[in-house]
Amino acid sequence: MDLEQKIGEVIETSNSEFLTQCYKLDDAPSLGSMVKTRAKEYTIYGVVYYSATHSIEPGRRIIARGRSAETEEEVYKANPQLERLLCTDFRALVIGYAHESAVRQHLPPFPASIYAFVYNANHEEVKRLTQSLNFLNLLLEGRLPVMTDDVIAAFLRCASQAYESPRDFLIKAGKELAWLLSDDIRRLDSILKRIN
Amino acid sequence: MPLDVNRIISQIDALVAEVKLRRGDFVKKLDLATNLMNSLDKNTADIVRKLEQARTTWLLAGIKGCINQSKKAGCLPADFCVIGSDGSHIDVDRHHSERLFVLNMAVIYLQYGSYPRAEFVSNPTLYFGDENLNIRASDGRQIAIEGPLLGMKRSVEECRCLADMVCVSTADLPILGLLDGSLIMWGLVSQRYDDFVVNELLQNGMLPQFDRFYDWGKDKRVALASYISFPRSTDVINLLRMAICPFTPIDCDRHCKGKFENRPCDDVDGLTDRILFNKILNKDERSAVFISRSSINDRYGKHRVCFFYLKLDEEVARIEIPQWVADRSELLDFVHSAILDQCQKGFGYPVCLSEAHELAVITGTDREQFWNLLDQVMQTDQPGLQSSLKQRSKKLRWI
Repeated sequence: MDLEQKIGEVIETSNSEFLTQCYKLDDAPSLGSMVKTRAKEYTIYGVVYYSATHSIEPGRRIIARGRSAETEEEVYKANPQLERLLCTDFRALVIGYAHESAVRQHLPPFPASIYAFVYNANHEEVKRLTQSLNFLNLLLEGRLPVMTDDVIAAFLRCASQAYESPRDFLIKAGKELAWLLSDDIRRLDSILKRIN
Repeated sequence: MPLDVNRIISQIDALVAEVKLRRGDFVKKLDLATNLMNSLDKNTADIVRKLEQARTTWLLAGIKGCINQSKKAGCLPADFCVIGSDGSHIDVDRHHSERLFVLNMAVIYLQYGSYPRAEFVSNPTLYFGDENLNIRASDGRQIAIEGPLLGMKRSVEECRCLADMVCVSTADLPILGLLDGSLIMWGLVSQRYDDFVVNELLQNGMLPQFDRFYDWGKDKRVALASYISFPRSTDVINLLRMAICPFTPIDCDRHCKGKFENRPCDDVDGLTDRILFNKILNKDERSAVFISRSSINDRYGKHRVCFFYLKLDEEVARIEIPQWVADRSELLDFVHSAILDQCQKGFGYPVCLSEAHELAVITGTDREQFWNLLDQVMQTDQPGLQSSLKQRSKKLRWI
C-alpha cells in the first residue's frame, strides 16, 4: 500500500465511516469514488460521500481575496500562507474490507486506525469489491447528511470505470437496485436517472 | 459581579461631550503643526543647531536629512521573503509552588514570486531552575525574570527566532525580518535597571541578534524592521514644540518649570505623530527618517534605532529600523514596499505578523490546561498542595 500515492490520513474514525484530511488543498477524491485505508491487518474500503475545504481553526473565517487578481492562481501566489491555514477533508462510508485473501462486503471488526494513510483504491480492488453487489444495502440504508441517492449513483458511475464494459456493470447494478428497492419505485427511478 | 454597564453609560456620554469640545481646538492645532513642518524644512540647519543646544523634558526626534520629506513606495523585487515573528508567555505564578515560565515563539516565513511558499514554526519552551529564572551579575546580585522583565526577555527571543529562521532559509533572495512593536527596549529605560540587567538583555541579548542581520545585510539585501500599529509617539510633534519655543537656548526646567499648560509650545499639545502624518502623507507614502533620541538608544551603537511613518489605507504605522538600514536607500525602499505589500495582503496589518500572532497566542484555555497538566503530573510524584488557597478560591468561584 505504501508504494501508492497517499492522499491524506484518517483524523476521525468509527466502524461505519472515517474522516480523512487531505495533504493537498482541494485534492479530495471525487464524490462516489472508492478509497482505502487500514485497521490493524485489515484493509478498509470506503465510498467518498462528502468533502469540504475550510479553515483549520474553527474561529477563523475565510474571506474573499481575489478582487484585484486576474486568476484564482494569483490569489494563492500572493498569499502562500493559505496552504497552511486551510485544509480539505472528506468523509467515506465504509462498505467492506479485505483480510488475508478474502474480501467482505460488510462492516469491518475495527474502525480504521487514526492517522492511517488513505489511498485511492485501484481498478482491481474496485472490481474485487463490486463483484458482488451486496454492499449496496449498506449504502441504501446509510443515513448520510448528504443526498444518499446522489452518492450511490456517483459510486456506481465511478466503479463502472474499473470494468472493460461499464455498461454491463451498470445494468447488473441496476438489476440489484431494482430488487432491493422493489417496494420503493420512486427512489429506484431517482437513482437510475442519476446514474444516466 | 460583572461590570455595571448601566452606570457607565452616563459617563460615556460625558466623555463624548468632552471629545466634541476638544475637536475644534484640535483642527487649529493640526493646521499649525502642518504649517510648521513646511517651514522647518526650509530651516533644517537652524533646527539641527537648536536641537543640539536644547534641554527639554520632551523626547525629541533626531533629524536625518529633510524633515518634511515624503516618498512613494518603490517596486518590490520579483522574488523576495518576509519573515515575521511574535511570541506570548505564561508568567511566573506566585500562587503556584513551582517557579517557572513558558515562552511560546512563532515564526512565519513567506516567500513570494516564482516559487511561493510558506513555513510556520512554533516553539514553546518551559523555563525552570535558578539559572534560567534569574539574571545574575558576576558579583552575585540577581533579579528574577518575571513581569516586565519577562516581556523584554520575550522580545529578545522573538528576535533570536527571527534571525534563526533567516539563518536556515536557503533561498538567496531579499529578506525582510519583521518584528511586532518597538526595537527600542523601553522597559529598560522606564524601570532603571542595574547595568548587569541591561547588559544581559541588550548587549548580550538583543544586539547580537541585530548583528546577525547586519552581517547578512553586508552581502545580501537583508533588512530588519519592526512595525508599530496605531503609534502614540510624539517625537516629531515634540520637535515642533521646540520650533515654537521662544526661549534661546531652550531649557524647559529653567523657563517653564512647574507649568503644565499655557506654555507657548502647548499650541501643538494633544497631537501625536500619527495624527500629523495622517494629514501630511498621501496613501502608501513614507515620511522622512528620524532618529530616536531615547537615552537607551545610545547603547545600540551601529544599530541606533531610526523610524519613519507609513500611511496605509486606514492608519499610519510607525516603522522602526536600525541605522544601517536607514543609511542604505535600497534597504530602506525594500522595507517600505515590503511592509506596504504585507499590509495590503493582510487587510491593514502585516500578514506575517498576524499569522505569527495566531500561532504564538496562548489562550485562557491553554493557560488553564497548562497549569492543570502541571498540577496533575506533579501530584503524581509529589502529593501535596501545589497552588495557593487564594488561587483555588478564584478557580472554584463558590457561592
